[in-house]
Amino acid sequence: MYNITLVCNLGLSTSMVVQKMQEAAKKLSIAAEIQAVPESNIAKVASKTNVILLGPQISYKLDEFKKKYEELGIKVAVVNGTDYAMMNGEKVLKFAIGLIER
Amino acid sequence: MGYEEKIMTIIVKSGEAKSCCMRAIGKARKGEYTDAEALIAEAEQCLREAHGIQTELLSGEADGKKHEVTMLMIHAQDHLMNTMTVKDLGSEIIAILKERQ
Repeated sequence: MYNITLVCNLGLSTSMVVQKMQEAAKKLSIAAEIQAVPESNIAKVASKTNVILLGPQISYKLDEFKKKYEELGIKVAVVNGTDYAMMNGEKVLKFAIGLIER
Repeated sequence: MGYEEKIMTIIVKSGEAKSCCMRAIGKARKGEYTDAEALIAEAEQCLREAHGIQTELLSGEADGKKHEVTMLMIHAQDHLMNTMTVKDLGSEIIAILKERQ
C-alpha cells in the first residue's frame, strides 16, 4: 500500500488532482491511499506518508520540505505543472510510485 | 483544453509565478540580483500565460459563451490576483535590497 500526500496552500486544487489519482489507482488496481492537505496540516499526515508532492504554488518551499521530511524517509518532489493542470491522475500517480520505489 | 483544464492552468501558472517570485526574493537576500531578476522575468512569463487564458474566457463570455462560475474558478482568480500582488511587491523588495547593498 502506497501512501501519497499532495500539499498546496489550501488543498483545494490539489484535491482535484487527488481525485483523478484515486480514479487512476482504482483503474490500475493499485493499492494507494492518496490525500490532499493544506500546508498547515502536513505535520498530521507526515508520520504515515511515503511521499510528499508539492503543488506549483509552494514549489519554492521544496528545499525546506526536503530538509524536514527526507530524513524521516519520506520522498519529496514537485508535481509537474502540465500534469497538474491537465489533471493527469495516472501520470502523477506513476510519478509518485516511481519516487517511492527508487 | 476543456473549461476545467483552463481553470487549472490559471492556477498552475499563477502558482509557478508565485514560486518564482518567492525564490527571487530569496536570491536578492543573498545578493544574487541577476538571478533574482531572471526569476521575476520567469514569473512574468507565467503570469502572461495565466492572463491569456483569463482573457480568452472573458472575451468568450462577451461573445455569449457563458461558463459556469464554480468555486474552482473563483479559486483560480484568487491565485492570479494574489500572485500579481506578490510579483509587484517582490519586485519592489528586490529593488530596495539592491539600493541598500
